[in-house]
This record gives sequence, structure tokens and C-alpha cells, in this order.
Amino acid sequence: MIGFGLLAAAGVAIPIATRDSYHLDVATAILMNLVLTLSLRFEMSTGQLNMAHVSFMGVGAYASALLVMRAGWPFWAALGAAPLLAALVALPVGRIALRVSGPYYFLITFAFLEVMRLLFNNFFPDYLGGPSGLVQIPPPSPLPLPGGAVTFTGKLPQYWLMYGLFVLTTAMLIRLEHSRVGLVAGAIRQGDLLAETLGVNVLRYQLGAFMLGSFFAGLAGVFFAHSHQVLHSSDFALEPMVLLVVFTVIGGTQSVWGPVIGTVALSIASEFLRELHHYEVLVYGLVLMVVMLAVPEGLVSLPGRLAEALARRRRAKAVSMGAGLAP
Amino acid sequence: MLLELREVSRRFGGVQAVNRLSMTVAARTIHGLIGPNGAGKSTVFNLVTGVLPPSSGEIRFKGESISGLRPSEICRRGIARTFQAATLFRESTVLENVLLGCQLHAETRVVPTFLRTAAYREKDRAIHARARALLDTLRLAEAADQRASTLPHRDQKVLCLAMVLATGAELVILDEPLAGLTAQESAETVATLRRLRAEGKTILLVEHDMRVVMGLCDVITVLDHGVRIAEGTPREIQRDPSVIEAYLGAEDTRA
Repeated sequence: MIGFGLLAAAGVAIPIATRDSYHLDVATAILMNLVLTLSLRFEMSTGQLNMAHVSFMGVGAYASALLVMRAGWPFWAALGAAPLLAALVALPVGRIALRVSGPYYFLITFAFLEVMRLLFNNFFPDYLGGPSGLVQIPPPSPLPLPGGAVTFTGKLPQYWLMYGLFVLTTAMLIRLEHSRVGLVAGAIRQGDLLAETLGVNVLRYQLGAFMLGSFFAGLAGVFFAHSHQVLHSSDFALEPMVLLVVFTVIGGTQSVWGPVIGTVALSIASEFLRELHHYEVLVYGLVLMVVMLAVPEGLVSLPGRLAEALARRRRAKAVSMGAGLAP
Repeated sequence: MLLELREVSRRFGGVQAVNRLSMTVAARTIHGLIGPNGAGKSTVFNLVTGVLPPSSGEIRFKGESISGLRPSEICRRGIARTFQAATLFRESTVLENVLLGCQLHAETRVVPTFLRTAAYREKDRAIHARARALLDTLRLAEAADQRASTLPHRDQKVLCLAMVLATGAELVILDEPLAGLTAQESAETVATLRRLRAEGKTILLVEHDMRVVMGLCDVITVLDHGVRIAEGTPREIQRDPSVIEAYLGAEDTRA
């Protein structure tokens, strides 16, 4: 809790420290990616890796864009409705995918990712924009507040909007983590059969986590649609999905800090790797391999492992000294 | 009859693990299920608790059919079990392990969990009190905040029992509750099981220690190759010629 207080404070400090639009862009993207990786980790905390997480981001993004552009909804109504729609789409998908687990679940969600990418790319081109993408999405509309309307057209107000969504997401996910839901999720991850025989309807919990994770992915999608103002099927394809998994897994999935460390570190690194263009992913792949071999539980487990190693060394030293003193 | 199996069969490919098994377990008894290795005892447990669906036949609990239900639903109706090796949530604390058994009494919904409503907090307090009380009676209270994997073997076995009791199940199914325990520890567990029966629980158990089984059980069912070959009081079982041939007799030849 204190940790996230600090993180939230850092989020407030960034726009005070810099008004540079490039820095704000990077910071906004990190916050959006954090919403995606933290919700992905929440799903993984019940033992399943959902490879279609970005597809639900896409559902939120396209739904919100269409609600505003075609149905004439105000942005703020779409912001509430589109994530709910993403969660609703997740219901039947989850029901089918969760009939199996492990690698089969991975494959089914992966297939769904491809289906959705094709749908965004080729189907209903009049609505979804076809291969050239959906363009001219309006930015978030002004928020009418008692003290006067707040506009969201510049980089800074959009940063604050994303910051608000980020704080909302993390507050909710952390509250869930420290609740009976978190307790049950941890149990399912350690032994789903044991949990099931003790009265936990594992399927129901996994489906709930899948829907809630998709809700937050949809929320990130709404922001993405109206801040970029352009949507393309490649935004919701394998490559961004793999990046999310890499962010999450390199950081580690044991605690909420894993995705935070992974996302912040790699997002910043990616700004320096930009010149490599497509080879950027190659670097991520190498980093992933090294981390998986050296610290399979992610960077977040490093301090604990170091402390353990130090304690072992101290013990070994004490023993060898003791041996020297023995008569 | 609390539990009733009617002509229950289970095949694994060509192997008939359980063959047209009929048996009943009366309320408030300790019922032993014995038989040589591979007799189908564990399969029977898996069928009753819904871990495996039966190939044919019917299982009834308190007069209602439970065949084909999810294990969690069967647990909610009042059947809970332990597994052979001390199976628990090793990375969680002792208290968390027991809380998980309690949580089916505190249905969790997303919105009240976010809001931490009064009802949510009330249920939380209730299941914490329940878990603490259970740890107290089973003398595990001091280890409550310890990680389950750090407990000695005896305490892990007791914790498994605590988790099952936390669900409030009327029928408690125990797979080798005494395995790996010293004589002293074993005697303590036997005393606990007798106390549970006195409190109204029904216990169905598989156990290899024949001396304990004969002394503890009210009724014993003997399985061999998935078929029931005898059922009765310990005295009757010890005299049954088919049991002696299939099971006890085999031990005699070894001795």
C-alpha cells in the first residue's frame, strides 16, 4: 500500500518535473501499459496466461470510437460502457477457453487473438476502417465540472486522464489482491484441484478474473483510441501482446510489483532501442531468455534471492569459523 | 443412509478400477475402506468427491444424487476430503490454508469486495474467528502465521484435517490419515477422529495400519480388484474367509 502511494506520488511528480511533450508521451504510455500488465498479471494470478489480452483492449478501443463517432455518445459515457462491453465479450470466450488449461488455454486464447486481429482488419471496413485503419477519432470531450469544463486536448491533460485511470485500476486490483478473492486466487495457483475439493468453484473464479482483466484492458483501449485518434489492427496483434507478456514475466508475477518493474524498466529501455526498429523485439527476446534462465521468478524476486544468498554465506562463514575454533 | 453408492463403476481404458460397487455409509460412524494396493480405494474417493465422474452407476448423498457434480458443489453439500500425501497450499500460511476451507461460508462478490462493505467485513471477521477456533482445538494456533511448507510432517497432516473441517462438511473423507506418523502422533489423531464422531461427523477413511483400522472403525468395507468382497464390523471382517484369502492371508504368507 505504501509502495503504491509512492508510485502514485511519482506519477504526480513527473508533470511537475517536466513539461517536455516527449517525456509526457513516454510517461503516458507507461501508465497505459501498467494498466494492461497489472490486469494481465491479475488473470495470471489464477494460473492462466491469456494471449488475447490486447484483443480485449481492441474491443474497448473500437467500441468506444464507434460509440462516439457513430452513435454520438459523449466520450465519458463511452469510457464507462466500452470496458463493460470488453468484459461482456470475455464471458463466452472465457467459458470456452477455460474448459481447458495450461498450454491448451494458451493456444485457444492465441487463436482468438488472431481471429480478432483479422476481424479488426478485414470485416465491416465501413465501420472498423479496414486495413488502412480507423481514423479521425475525436479526443476526449471536455468534462463539465462545477468549477468549469476541463478540456483534454493537450498532452498534459491527457496524461492526467491516464493517471486517473491508472490510479483507479491499481487501487481496485490491490484491494482485490488483499481480500478473499486474492486468497482464493493464490490457492488456485498453487493447487486448483485442492482448492476445488475445498469448495472453490475454480472455473467461476477464473472466469471472473478473465472478465475483470478484460474490463481493464478495455479501459486502456478507450484511452488509446481517443489519445492516438487512430486505430489499426496491428495495435492489437501478436507483437504488442508478446511485449505485454515480456513486461509482465520479466518483472515477475508473484507480486503486483513485478509488472510495475518490468513495464517501467522495459518501456524506458525501448525508447533507447527505437533506432533498432524491428530488431527491438530481438533484444526483448534475449532479455527474456536471460531473465528466465537466471531469475525465473522475475526481477521482483531478486532482492529476496540476494538476501537469501547473503544469509547463506554468513551462515557458511559462521560454520567455518566455528570449525576453526573447535578443539 | 448418509452416503450411498449404487452399482458404481469406473474404467480407465481397459482397466476396471471400480466394478459395480454398492456400499452405504451410515451417519455418525467411522467407516473404513480397505484392500490391497490397486484395489480401487483411491478411485472410490475420487468418484465420491467428484474428482472423477463414474462411468456408470449413481452416488447419492443425503438422498440426492451427486454424480456428475463439480467437486466444489459436492463440497458445498457436505463432503470434504484430504489427499494421500499431505497436500496443502505450501506457500501460504497455516491460517490462510484454513481460511480457504472456511471461505465457502463467505461468498465473495466483486463489488462488495471493492467497497469493503459492512457485510463483507462482518463475514471476514466470522471466517477468521472460525479458522482461529479450529487451529486452537487442533493445537496449531501457535503456527498460524508460519508458512505451511515449514511445518513438521505431523502438523501438516493435522492442517489437512483442519482445512477439511473448516468447510463444515458432515462427511469427512481421509486418505491415509496416519501415514508417516509415530505411534504417539497416531494415537492423538485417532483420539481426534473419535471426538469428531462424537460431535456428529461421519468419517470414511482409507488406512493401511490394520491394528488401528480394526480398533477404530464401526464398519469396514473390503475391496479387491475394484469389487466389494466383504462388509461388516471389524470382528466379522477378521473372520471372513474371502478377506483372509485376498488380503490378510496374503500378509500371513509373507510373515
